Amino acid sequence: MIERIKSALRDCGISLWRITDSTVESAELFFVKKQLDTRRIKDVRKFQAAVFRDVEADGQTLRGFTTVTLLESMDDARLREELNGAYYAAQFAANPFYALPDPVQAPVKEKTGQLCQAPLAESAAQIAQALFAADTREDAFLNSAEIFVTRSRTRILSSEGTDAAYTDAKAEGEFVVQCQEPEDVEIHNTYSYDTLDTAALTKKVAEALTFVRDRSRAQRILKSGQYDVVLSAEAAATVLSYYQDRAAAQMIYPKYSTWQVGEQVQGEEISGAKLDLDLCATQPYSEEGIPMEDLPLLRAGELKAIHGNNRFCRYLDIKPTGLYQKLRCLNSGVPFEELKAGPCLWAVAFSDFQMDSMSGHFGGEIRLAYLIEDGRAIPVTGGSINGSLLESQGSLRFCEERYEAAHYTGPYGVRIPNVNVAGVE
Amino acid sequence: MFSSLDSVKPALGRLIARLRQVYPYASVLAVEDAARRWSVSRAGVNIDASGLRGGTGFVVRVFDGTGCGEYSFNRFDESMTEDIAARLAEGLKAQSAALAGFSPLPTPVPADEPAVLRKSTGFQSDPRDLGDEAIINRLRALREKALALDGRILDVQLGMNYRCCRKLFLSENRDLDQSLMWTTCALMVLCSRGQELKITYEPFSVLGGAEVLDAVEDRIPEAVKKAVELLDSQPITPGEYDCVCDSDVTGMIVHEAFGHGVEMDMFVKDRALGRSYIDKYVASELVTMHDGSAVQQAATMFFDDEGTLTGDTVIIDKGVLKTGMCDALSAARLGVKPTGNGRRESYERKAYARMTNTYFDAGSHTKEEMIASIDYGFLLEQPSSGMEDPKNWGIQCMVSVAREIKDGRLTGKIFSPIVLTGYVPDLLKSVSMMGREQTLSGSGFCGKGYKEWLKVSDGGPCMKARIRLG
Repeated sequence: MIERIKSALRDCGISLWRITDSTVESAELFFVKKQLDTRRIKDVRKFQAAVFRDVEADGQTLRGFTTVTLLESMDDARLREELNGAYYAAQFAANPFYALPDPVQAPVKEKTGQLCQAPLAESAAQIAQALFAADTREDAFLNSAEIFVTRSRTRILSSEGTDAAYTDAKAEGEFVVQCQEPEDVEIHNTYSYDTLDTAALTKKVAEALTFVRDRSRAQRILKSGQYDVVLSAEAAATVLSYYQDRAAAQMIYPKYSTWQVGEQVQGEEISGAKLDLDLCATQPYSEEGIPMEDLPLLRAGELKAIHGNNRFCRYLDIKPTGLYQKLRCLNSGVPFEELKAGPCLWAVAFSDFQMDSMSGHFGGEIRLAYLIEDGRAIPVTGGSINGSLLESQGSLRFCEERYEAAHYTGPYGVRIPNVNVAGVE
Repeated sequence: MFSSLDSVKPALGRLIARLRQVYPYASVLAVEDAARRWSVSRAGVNIDASGLRGGTGFVVRVFDGTGCGEYSFNRFDESMTEDIAARLAEGLKAQSAALAGFSPLPTPVPADEPAVLRKSTGFQSDPRDLGDEAIINRLRALREKALALDGRILDVQLGMNYRCCRKLFLSENRDLDQSLMWTTCALMVLCSRGQELKITYEPFSVLGGAEVLDAVEDRIPEAVKKAVELLDSQPITPGEYDCVCDSDVTGMIVHEAFGHGVEMDMFVKDRALGRSYIDKYVASELVTMHDGSAVQQAATMFFDDEGTLTGDTVIIDKGVLKTGMCDALSAARLGVKPTGNGRRESYERKAYARMTNTYFDAGSHTKEEMIASIDYGFLLEQPSSGMEDPKNWGIQCMVSVAREIKDGRLTGKIFSPIVLTGYVPDLLKSVSMMGREQTLSGSGFCGKGYKEWLKVSDGGPCMKARIRLG
């Protein structure tokens, strides 16, 4: 197929191109309680071709590109039709000129480990066993669960000489925990691992079952006001994603973000933790074929690097890094028990916690929080958090316990002072 | 366009016949897909033809001794019939073997009543005929017009997406064929207040083509004015207020706060409070809610991804919950008829019970009458996100604009961002006025939980209700 595409590119007179050949296989399981709802398998192969076209305008050379999806079922005439259509469109998507990524030639980087090598059905079954291992009591239980075990093979070729390939594997999905007494409630959870980390998943389910029991007896007593808010696990990771987003070349080039390397991005007055963040390479090459490696992002709150795809990095005259999918927070602090000591609101479950990197606002509706005061932790539900990281980022405090996910590794909890909370009274 | 499905259709029929030798039920959904997105902004010009959460491929569904099994693939021709059947059998057998100890959820084999259909949706201006050059030029001109209106604008992002697809659903007794086209536009105006970016968003959508662009120009001044106004916005004092929701905010409440809670796969899982409220009052008598294809909007279709013909489902009739929206598997498990709401993000994903076009019926008041009726409250505009809570009917919806109303008049003061919270029936029972004019919008994608994104539309008239804001 690759040779057929290359031949079609030649026939169309397209000299600048990139082809991405991706094959994805999956085993998927869907449960209602402990009963099997649906089983699915998937085997899909796609080819994406990005075709580049240079045009002259006002004495300057501009470069445009369009990406199109090609399939093995297309005959040669259809391939030429699709590529010609994309090449025609590319001239109208012309932007300031930029160089294409430097060529890379390397043997296939094979990811290793059980998730990559065991049959998909067996890995999916192990995930199922891990999910239900903690589901041992009648008062709180797994209402439903979904499992997606995916294995992929990606090869990237370009007209500049790139020929690089790698394999990857993931186990991800969601589960809902339910507790019926005294009030019938649920909490929705997601998980994502790049290894077959069954112990971490069982632990996550056990924690979720504890939380849903507490939500069941939670009271609607939260009063409006400002609170020290403790966020944990996914919510903590979500807040920190602001720094990854704001340091992206595609945010900086159009001036949505004004950050520059060397800038103290947490502001001048930092009474809390000065952030140490890294971007982690989760695959050996970006989708453009750029070799990826871990990148220090912030050190003591100072921006160390801007990251992004080829075009926007070239415009900013920095080395293209590729697009990252994982953030590492190196900060640590006190034990979590100490972090949430003293008057605070530990919000553990939201309907949909969001960090708006454009505005700096974060928040969501509270499904479960613990109102902690006078040494007591009272489960509460209802109300919402509406905070501004721009106002709070100088006062962040972290715990020493770690939280691991496919997209984040770092402290389990962060404490943010003086956050606006809308209560239910 | 989309003739390749014609060439494989006979082979797909033979695949179904082959599978029926082994399984009591077999069907295939075949999709051929074309999509394109055009955008202009300060970051540059972009044209992408790689796809919009769809794609060309096939999904086979069978029932075996364990229950429902599916196989998604995108390579198929006549010679592969035996290979597909073998892969499906081996895959399901391997999963069943690995899952010893887990029992299947009892599921009757879905009905496969005879039906033949071949239909297409219409359009005024096919984006493929209009062409990339004309579309980009039009978007550029509209963007320049917006930028020229106020020097405080940081950027204007304007994009247009279209998806045209043909779907075949084949089973032993069903031969369904539909071609659909929707086109959407999104106008975003950005202003900055230091590090904080304030954004307004105007959505546009049609069941059709590039005619969607005709509506953009008229709404540019309002979008720019709103973005600049947001520069002076402030946080709201949390509390419960009399509110007027514009039709977009009404749509978000229809969809997020109530719609997800009556997707009937949630009934099967005991995840929806709505199941115990059938034939009971859940809303004011002013509220009548529909889902389906009785309207011409972005999610209109003739049959769903499980081969169920679509129609008009009355969810709430004058305040009384009548039914939910149902996919075929859930219908079989619940012993009811499916409503044509079994939808997949693409052939690569599972079908779930999903909304299509979901909306409240219009009433008899004007927006001005609603505002005039409020001593102190807010006019809510520009929904930004929402999340369902079918189990407990909690509300989480966010809007970007709350305009202060005092003594029946808008004061000009704006609060942002705003989180709507509360208990869904409380909000819906508090609806005291419904607007005369009903509009639907389908510019975005809807997720189930945090994934499974697909095209929907929602809307209704302006409405007055009592809502907790924070």
